[in-house]
Amino acid sequence: MTLPTRIKRFSVLDRLSHIFLMLTFLLQTATGFSRLYITTVWGKKVNTFFGGYDTSLVIHEWTGMVMMAGFALHTIYLLTRIDWRTPVKSIFGPDSLVPNLTDAKQFGQRIRWFFGLGPLPKFNRWAYWEKFDYWAVYWGLPLLAVTGFMLMFPLSTSRFLPGWSLNIAALLHRAEAILAVTYIFIVHFFIGHLRPSSFPMNEAMFSGSIPMHEALEEKSAWVQRLQEEGKLESASSAAPSLWYRRLYFMFGYAALIFGVYMLINGIIYSRQISLH
Amino acid sequence: MAKTSILLKIFVMLALVAAGTVLLLPPAASAQEEVASAIRRYKDREASTGYYEEYEVRPRRIKPLVGVPGVEEGIFNYSPTAAKVRNRSHLADSHMGIAFYKEKTCQTCHPEQAKDIHTVRANLTCRQCHGGEPIASNQYFKSPMNPIRKHAYVCAKCHEGSSASFASYIVHEPAPGSAAARKGFPILYFTYWFMTVLLVGTLAFFIPHSFLTGLRELFNKKRTTNDDAADAH
Repeated sequence: MTLPTRIKRFSVLDRLSHIFLMLTFLLQTATGFSRLYITTVWGKKVNTFFGGYDTSLVIHEWTGMVMMAGFALHTIYLLTRIDWRTPVKSIFGPDSLVPNLTDAKQFGQRIRWFFGLGPLPKFNRWAYWEKFDYWAVYWGLPLLAVTGFMLMFPLSTSRFLPGWSLNIAALLHRAEAILAVTYIFIVHFFIGHLRPSSFPMNEAMFSGSIPMHEALEEKSAWVQRLQEEGKLESASSAAPSLWYRRLYFMFGYAALIFGVYMLINGIIYSRQISLH
Repeated sequence: MAKTSILLKIFVMLALVAAGTVLLLPPAASAQEEVASAIRRYKDREASTGYYEEYEVRPRRIKPLVGVPGVEEGIFNYSPTAAKVRNRSHLADSHMGIAFYKEKTCQTCHPEQAKDIHTVRANLTCRQCHGGEPIASNQYFKSPMNPIRKHAYVCAKCHEGSSASFASYIVHEPAPGSAAARKGFPILYFTYWFMTVLLVGTLAFFIPHSFLTGLRELFNKKRTTNDDAADAH
């Protein structure tokens, strides 16, 4: 049996979700950082672009609510992806993003592989760092949303919680935002763009498919499983057209440059802001 | 028959007296209800501004509805030094007796208090909340800053509808990772360190992890390329 040249990795909905998250995340970074850094020259410059201290907050709040709507829709989508006839098998199965013991084992193998002490672990559909990527966003979003809502409606919040919880909410919102931004703009960008197997850009999240040699190299257990289940033929996918590749390369690089710009300026000016 | 009519007359007379009493006496003061118990006090109307001034004489010795971090209660909670400070926190003029007071600015003695969001971001001056001279201590019972009325007299100037709970927001927040925060605002302190450890831990794990992945792939790629070159010949 001949292997297809490319196999499908992300559905159209997955890819649209990722683009939605990219756009909203970058907008939240820009408006949020412009307010965090408002006492610095750079912060003022970015903030002016978004219409000043108050207007940038309005943009930030509405974008946050759009994000929350996206999060709710995504959660509903997740529930539809579970096979409810066999929920346990479906939730802890190889197609699921829920971490399991295999991930711990593969992490150990991966560490040995780093130092040339063993072969590359046979990853299934999702490697452990991909699962981490996913859950980092999935817990970060509600945390930012809850603290964000508390800060948006401080008077209503203080009816249910003591007013000093707003101090905690402000701290959590800032700290989680900084964690998300540094993680995405350092680790996620490195994995997606800079490491040799991805350079200059890992196209899977935009084209929706990956070349077979890449899948065999990194996700050999997945390919094997598809083959055993007889799903490999149906997972076959056509290569993305040239105009589409041009488009997502420009989009991806615009996001990359923007993120790195935010990160570098954030680091440069971080000494000029006090967080209390 | 006669007996019944006498009873009827007495009943009618009593009814008339009762009705007259009800009509002549002033109506029951419903406003007193809200201070009927220490727990219910202010709850319904705390959103208003200056409403309680008319009948409030002295604050009662009640526990505030919402605990404020750093304010300790009890009999022997204060060392002699702390007691001195606490004394100062009950004065009509909190800066009474300080040498060369007139030559000083607020920030001469309170530099940390000018680093909060209200000062740095909203550009508020000290006087806009703390008022003019003499500045009463926060615990002085007639001070606008006293926690029993701060929400109405100070916070509500900008935050319309501010409640006592809302006013327990710590404006002069200690630096979240500091020893002062650990003592005065432990939840803030532990939240800060939890998030810091999470941030540093995540990056300390994933940056080397990504870097080693990249390095390993680079060597693998090099070897594959060399092998290809060897095959071609």
